[in-house]
Amino acid sequence: MNPLLTIVLLATLLITALVKAQPSYEGPHPNLAVVEDPTLRRTQYNERVQEVIQWRANIVERGDSEKMDLASVSANLRLGRKLDACSDRVIEMMETPGSGPFWMLPTVCVAFTGRDLLSEEAKNAIRDAWRLTYQLRGDTENHFAMYYSMLYLMSEMYPNESGDQWYTGKSSEENLAESRAYLIDWMDIMTTIGQGEFNPTHYIGEYAIPMLYLFAWAKDPEMRIRGKMVLDWLYAGLAANTINGVLRGPNARTDDSSVVERWNSLSSFFSWLNFGNCPPTRGFSWGNYYAIVADNYEVPEVIYRIATDRDIPFEQRDLKRSRHQWRYSDVGKAPIYKTSYTTSEYAVGSYQGGMADPIQTHVWDVTWKTPDPRGIHPTMFSIHPYSASKGMQAYFNVGPDTMVKAVAAEGKPSYDVADKLVGCSPYEQVFQDLDTVIALYDIPEGTRFEQVNGFFSKDLSNLTEDASGWIFAQGGSCYLAYLPLAKYEWEPHMAYQRLPSASNGYRYERVPTGSHVLISPHRRNGTILQAASVSEFASYKAFQKAVKSLPLEIELTPVPSVSMRSLRGTEIVCTFGKDPLRDGKRVDYSKWKLFEGPYLNAEKNSRKLEITHRRLKRTLDFNTLTISDTVIKEP
Amino acid sequence: MTPNTISKTLICLFYSLGANFSLSGQPPTIETYVCAAINKNYVIGSKIVTTSGLHRLEPSGEWRHIGLNDPTVSAVSFDPRDPQVFYTAALNGALRTVDGGASWRIMTGWDITEPKDVCVDPHSPNTVYLAHPGGIALSNDQGMSWQACERGLPDHGKYTQTIEVDRVRPGRVLAGCESGIYLTQDHAQSWRRVLKTRETVNDIQQSPHNPNTWTAVTQSAGAWISRNSGRTWTNLPNAPTDGSLYNVAFDGTNPDRLAVGSYTFGVLTSEDGGVTWVSRNEGLPMPQRVWRVGVHPGTGHLFASVYQKAVFTSNNFGRTWKKIGLEGSAVNGFLFLSVPTSINP
Repeated sequence: MNPLLTIVLLATLLITALVKAQPSYEGPHPNLAVVEDPTLRRTQYNERVQEVIQWRANIVERGDSEKMDLASVSANLRLGRKLDACSDRVIEMMETPGSGPFWMLPTVCVAFTGRDLLSEEAKNAIRDAWRLTYQLRGDTENHFAMYYSMLYLMSEMYPNESGDQWYTGKSSEENLAESRAYLIDWMDIMTTIGQGEFNPTHYIGEYAIPMLYLFAWAKDPEMRIRGKMVLDWLYAGLAANTINGVLRGPNARTDDSSVVERWNSLSSFFSWLNFGNCPPTRGFSWGNYYAIVADNYEVPEVIYRIATDRDIPFEQRDLKRSRHQWRYSDVGKAPIYKTSYTTSEYAVGSYQGGMADPIQTHVWDVTWKTPDPRGIHPTMFSIHPYSASKGMQAYFNVGPDTMVKAVAAEGKPSYDVADKLVGCSPYEQVFQDLDTVIALYDIPEGTRFEQVNGFFSKDLSNLTEDASGWIFAQGGSCYLAYLPLAKYEWEPHMAYQRLPSASNGYRYERVPTGSHVLISPHRRNGTILQAASVSEFASYKAFQKAVKSLPLEIELTPVPSVSMRSLRGTEIVCTFGKDPLRDGKRVDYSKWKLFEGPYLNAEKNSRKLEITHRRLKRTLDFNTLTISDTVIKEP
Repeated sequence: MTPNTISKTLICLFYSLGANFSLSGQPPTIETYVCAAINKNYVIGSKIVTTSGLHRLEPSGEWRHIGLNDPTVSAVSFDPRDPQVFYTAALNGALRTVDGGASWRIMTGWDITEPKDVCVDPHSPNTVYLAHPGGIALSNDQGMSWQACERGLPDHGKYTQTIEVDRVRPGRVLAGCESGIYLTQDHAQSWRRVLKTRETVNDIQQSPHNPNTWTAVTQSAGAWISRNSGRTWTNLPNAPTDGSLYNVAFDGTNPDRLAVGSYTFGVLTSEDGGVTWVSRNEGLPMPQRVWRVGVHPGTGHLFASVYQKAVFTSNNFGRTWKKIGLEGSAVNGFLFLSVPTSINP
């Protein structure tokens, strides 16, 4: 080969490799030292934002090396590059618009980023798409948040236009009023009785991005400050539920991958971007659309410190709510009582069990810290693999016969699979006291999947099936004791690997991960889990001995019931169908606050959240739409 | 209002009320409409590459798409004064066109989602009833504003799947809800339960032969009939109860004939007023996952939508079937509209 040609070829490959590199994803774990200097924090934040934009500007649509997608167009517009190509591509893409919030959001990103950069033809193409292409609103809370935020912004961008200029048939002012009314109502519910799709591993983006866009682009100052306040609200929750950026505890919605490889979710992107304390995920996912205007926002120091600067274990109790149940329930929005106990080494989190969302809920777990979370399954939990058409019908307005299959085709492949690890169940009841969890299962005869699944990570060490029935293991610097209340067997954990699909819908194949699933095929069942820090015991044997010596009584009939003393000395009585007893007192969920803990506090129905870290306090008051920062004087 | 508009108004009103004549002296044309979803594996946000929504069967045998490409349309209802004015119930809410589908407006706001049925009151066509997951909404101004009309409905159990206005008695409406059938006799100002069910009532229909006769099908309680305008209901004991019955249709040409569509049982027909039922699935693709059925009121031809397969028709009430297109569709509703020949577009 011609040497010159070889050099050119190698140089091209090198440039291509550099262009496609995603440094933070591929590089070493970030330094975990708290960045004290606010200017340096801001500088580092901006560098991360720029990394996303630069990276995304340099890659084009997946699977098509010739064409930019909307994310790539947005990034290039943000950098002021390839403007003619961006305009041409926008015109081309607007000839075949999408059909709902997942198209509206990227299009708004391009429309606003390109306001002064796109050609008139390209802007007109976007405008025409919003006039001619009917947009579906969707049927979930995140769909509505995106749909109405985007419709709001576009209606503000094009005011005083009549109904025949919009796919809705409504004028700009009508669109604006409807969108505003929905968003305010949604914020009102969130700040009074709790978030719906709480603690989400991925869907945090579906809320954070619209809120950032409102903050950055809304003309109405009320909507701007509302956007900013909700961002603070979301990130305060993220900060308090992470260790080194990795989300812990229960999730209203997660997925088959994120529930075991806890780092591998969009929430990690937001931890990386805001707190700089974990690697981002591959490709940044929807974070690409966030980064475009992320320099408009920065988490306040108090939230940054909650995420990065904690030294003692803490318990946090939150009130959340279920997805709205349209039928077959006495409650529309059911209260969710969420507990988390977080130390520097591990976290235990749960809600009380029952239905939070029909498909993707994760109810409880213990997770432990690892030096680098990538590829690790740092978690242990159990579930009842509930799958029911009627359960679907409570939340989805569909007939009884097709939804179970349909959700699998829509990217939730495990819903109707016996060994699944995602999902809540009406037949599961959970109680948590600090780092003790009791999960009871009373599964009626004839229920699809009369079994309990427990997850056992490939990354555990010293796994021991003790003659007492306890299963002992160590995850990171966390000792774990797991007691299945009925006999069990082991199966390999099989992940869902997505395959290319030529049409709408998803295809998967199942691949072993090295982790295992404990299958306990008994209807009356349960799990007791004890976690403790390695530093609290002289040895692994000492931990096992302490656990085995705990007073413990178990009954499985007529319903599962456990009476025990926890490692921390709490007397606990749990009986399926009854309120649990802690030290002889009934746990009264009616007194649960919206947030209660050392960092986040809010009364139910208050619309007011206090975010505290040592001497720093930020108050988000949705009654007055004020953000107030306080520094407590040193005593 | 022009004289021509007045004529159209009167003609449509008469036909909607069951009148059997036309001002032109010509027999009416009965148009066949379907609300069809052709969107297998569609995911919210993806590009829609098929044509879904309202389709009309043309005399040529072709299906003509009308209006929005909306894969979520579950029902359509026409203003009897003007066939250019009609409403759909869809994911985004209730939609209305006043120009035959050329332009549309989403009539409801953020607080009503995924209505399942819509019904224009033939006695007072400015009034529109909407069955939706949160209950029942009423508009008295052609959908411009809506009010919840739920007095008498339970706090829980008011999910409403279907709503049907009595075509001969103004103010009388029957609604199929999660917890049973509810009747109003005062324009939805108050409701009372006339049939209790454990699960959703999927469809209610009034007989074209005898307005006192109604029939209903349910998710798990089989099929029911009322012979006193919906005040009391009697179970049809030979209709199955171990699977959901999706909809029911009377044969306008034969008072003894009924047809039921079911994902579990396919097409079920009765030729003795609902006393006995037979499967009429031979000739339909296997498995016979029937989504909806309909009966043409002029010819008695039976239509069946097989889920995500196609639409089929039978000229002998299900004994043999012929495919008539809409490949890949699931029809959420058949509607047969009498339009005077003189104004048939």
